Amino acid sequence: MPMVLLKCDKDIPEREKHIYLKVDGEDSRDFLPVSNAQTLPGTLSERGCAFCGAKLVIGGVLKDTIQMIHGPVGCAYDTWHTKRYPTDNGHFNMKYVWSTDMKESHIVFGGEKRLEKSINEAFDEMPDVKRMFVYTTCPTALIGDDVKAVAKKVMSERPDVDIFTCECPGFAGVSQSKGHHVLNIGWINEKVGTVEPVITSKYTMNFIGDFNIQGDTQLLNEYWEKLGIQVIAHFTGNGTYDDLRSMHRAQLNVVNCARSSGYIANELKKQYGIPRLDIDSWGFNYMAEAIRKICAFFGIEEKGEALIADEYAKWKPQLDWYKERVKGAKMAIWTGGPRLWHWTKSVEDDLGVQVVAMSSKFGHQEDFEKVIARGSQGTYYIDDGNELEFFEIIELVKPDIIFTGPRVGELVKKLHIPYVNGHGYHNGPYMGFEGFVNLARDMYNAMYNPLLKLAATDIRGPANLQFLEAAE
Amino acid sequence: MSCEITTKARAGIINPMYDCQPAGAQYAGIGVKDCIPLVHGGQGCTMFVRLLFAQHFKENFDVASTSLHEDSAVFGGHQRIRDGVMTLVRRYPELRVIPLITTCSTEVIGDDVEGNIAACRKMIKEEFPNRKVHVVPVHTPSFKSSQVGGYAECLQAMIKTIATHKGAPSGKINLFPGWVNPGDVVLLKRYLTEMGVDGTVFMDTEDFDSPTLPDKSIHTHGRTTVEDIAGSANAKASVALARYEGASSAEYLKTEFGVPAHIVPTPYGIANTDAMLRKISEITGKPIPDSLVRERGIALDALQDLAHMFFADKRVALFGHPDLVIGLAQFCLEVEMKPVLLLLGDDNSKYKKDHRIVEMKNTATWDMEVVCNADLWELEKRAKNPDHRIDLILGHSKGRYVAIDNNIPMARVGFPTFDRAGLYRQPTMGYQGAMLLGETIANTLFTHMEYTKNREWILNTW
Repeated sequence: MPMVLLKCDKDIPEREKHIYLKVDGEDSRDFLPVSNAQTLPGTLSERGCAFCGAKLVIGGVLKDTIQMIHGPVGCAYDTWHTKRYPTDNGHFNMKYVWSTDMKESHIVFGGEKRLEKSINEAFDEMPDVKRMFVYTTCPTALIGDDVKAVAKKVMSERPDVDIFTCECPGFAGVSQSKGHHVLNIGWINEKVGTVEPVITSKYTMNFIGDFNIQGDTQLLNEYWEKLGIQVIAHFTGNGTYDDLRSMHRAQLNVVNCARSSGYIANELKKQYGIPRLDIDSWGFNYMAEAIRKICAFFGIEEKGEALIADEYAKWKPQLDWYKERVKGAKMAIWTGGPRLWHWTKSVEDDLGVQVVAMSSKFGHQEDFEKVIARGSQGTYYIDDGNELEFFEIIELVKPDIIFTGPRVGELVKKLHIPYVNGHGYHNGPYMGFEGFVNLARDMYNAMYNPLLKLAATDIRGPANLQFLEAAE
Repeated sequence: MSCEITTKARAGIINPMYDCQPAGAQYAGIGVKDCIPLVHGGQGCTMFVRLLFAQHFKENFDVASTSLHEDSAVFGGHQRIRDGVMTLVRRYPELRVIPLITTCSTEVIGDDVEGNIAACRKMIKEEFPNRKVHVVPVHTPSFKSSQVGGYAECLQAMIKTIATHKGAPSGKINLFPGWVNPGDVVLLKRYLTEMGVDGTVFMDTEDFDSPTLPDKSIHTHGRTTVEDIAGSANAKASVALARYEGASSAEYLKTEFGVPAHIVPTPYGIANTDAMLRKISEITGKPIPDSLVRERGIALDALQDLAHMFFADKRVALFGHPDLVIGLAQFCLEVEMKPVLLLLGDDNSKYKKDHRIVEMKNTATWDMEVVCNADLWELEKRAKNPDHRIDLILGHSKGRYVAIDNNIPMARVGFPTFDRAGLYRQPTMGYQGAMLLGETIANTLFTHMEYTKNREWILNTW
């Protein structure tokens, strides 16, 4: 059973190449959804743009950096108040956004002066902040503003500031993925190696591809501190601009999100010879495996085993309590890309939950290779799924719970299906041992919500006495 | 005592108050039934705006994108317009309206929107001879105006495209409230019903607050129909409640079809609501009913308990949509608060001449400041300045940290209010809206008094 043409896609038969139903005896040599391809216009795709991939996902996480968005106001407005990545300095990154507020005259005559003025104003208004990312957007890229020249000029006039420019117009590439790529490569080529870190441990690493969603980075950092490993740079959860400039001094690159940040790890290997170690940070099995791999690299296996034993003792009973209650549930995951393969096996192993449908907004071929290898038979693997497809897939697989974004969450609520925020989480962090208990708890609370039964009840029909009695 | 009307001196923006034009156009578009706006631009222009609507309403709204990629940026996005329109028409058999909303990128590229729409119309006619789908050109480059102008532009564009001729007089009135909440729309419709007036609210967003039902059916969509829009040309009169979001449509209907246009004060507060009802009564000849006199009285009764005891002399900063900010400043005066700072967030040069602002300027007996083209950094700077005491902030959720970090009580109002539950359901307009807002403000102040232990004992006996 190969690729699937859903009924709702009869008028866009190209979609068949993007939807795969895995059956027994097949593997990814036979069938693989087409991915990272152009979006079909008018399909109600869920995809974002390259600009948001750069600014919202990676750069905007930094806790000490002005995010100057060179373009009309909307690009700034829209990538503000849409993420949950706190910091240990009062969430500077979530409180502010900066725009050059381009108007028509700048489109006609060029926006470089506007950008220069906005950069200087921003530094003047916030004199304690000395670091800045500048992003291009659709119109500033189209008119060809030389943002690098402007940044260079400001840096020559203000020797205490440093500015990174990221050329990531929304139309670049086919999804937010292009923005991840552009930022990664720009950063390694222009900024890594320009600051020397203070080394405090004989074990050093960069932790790459984790954005401190609801404190993920901070939770995992407790493990690294216990193990005596110095994290030179967090790319980019709770991170600072200058930490990221000193990534070249780490002994190891540990990569969680290979999609958004694998590029920089590859370049750090190529340019500085730092080995890359890919891990999964969600789930007990995976987290333990990750700690073992990292500790093996540094030759501190015993410390790792002690940490794992402590964490299991502390959290495993709680996880098992939830597992008893959620096992057998059918789950769908509609998120960006990597969380499909990070989660499908971990919820199966740790919670006995079966993932029955997955859709990725911006995953590439390697993401689908991974997820199809790790995922089950009878599961749908979808690239760039759209709204009508989601309705049809729900009918086909009847999930008990969906991990997706809040907007789709509101949609499936009407279908009496609970959702857990698969992007910003409900009540995270979700990484690490404690985090996965949080995930299990949120899943349990979503599935066992009494309102679901009430929603399914038509008060014009017979009363569900059993439920009413239970409620009393 | 003076009122100063200024413009932000900085070129750039730190923390914007408004989104860009295409966002406003999308909001007007989703107010129509059997309508999916198609945004011609990058995918982020749609994806984030849908998220924004979902944050505010806790609902999903359908908006499509032409998904502009690099090749279109180089060679033009013609084919993507046509593919986008036809894909929507084919996959959504109920679809009757597609506002085609341009963005900065497609306006810079200069895609021939009208030409492509003409081609789409032909294709639709050939493939679906029994269907009529209105594809509406909406020019909303993001580098002009803001969500405020974008809303007005899309509203007017849909009227232009769909209301093409004058038919028999309907006797109805067109009501243009601007970008308001479903709670306001429900209130306005109720007022019309209570007055016995046959009217149409553009846009009817009542179902933006939609139920979870046993049969799992989804009813989250606008209620304004193609027939409502077509019929706007036959109305007895138009009443625009929002100068910057509705007046242009009322004026268009006047110029094109001779429908008398009345721009009334935005009905925030008692006196503004009085003016709206009087105008509707005057146009239709229907008296203002006892029920509304009673509702007015209940609101007055409630507000009088609060005004001189708790509200008097409170220094208020307001930000948000222009008609909302101006209307709420007038409401503040009614309840003895002092609107000391009004922030209007785009470069519309008309704000400074708005007669409501001029009137406040001329009569202000306190220090008052109106900042045009403002951002929320203007608010934050003043909030941090001890010489510029602010007792209360009235605005939307994007300003939440100014309140949190500076320990200033803030009542959420306007759009978006994602950090408070259910506000979209409450009216802010009308007598009931004024009462609810007044009570929300009071409760916000009370909670703040308690948490800061600042004369909280006053409430021991209130």
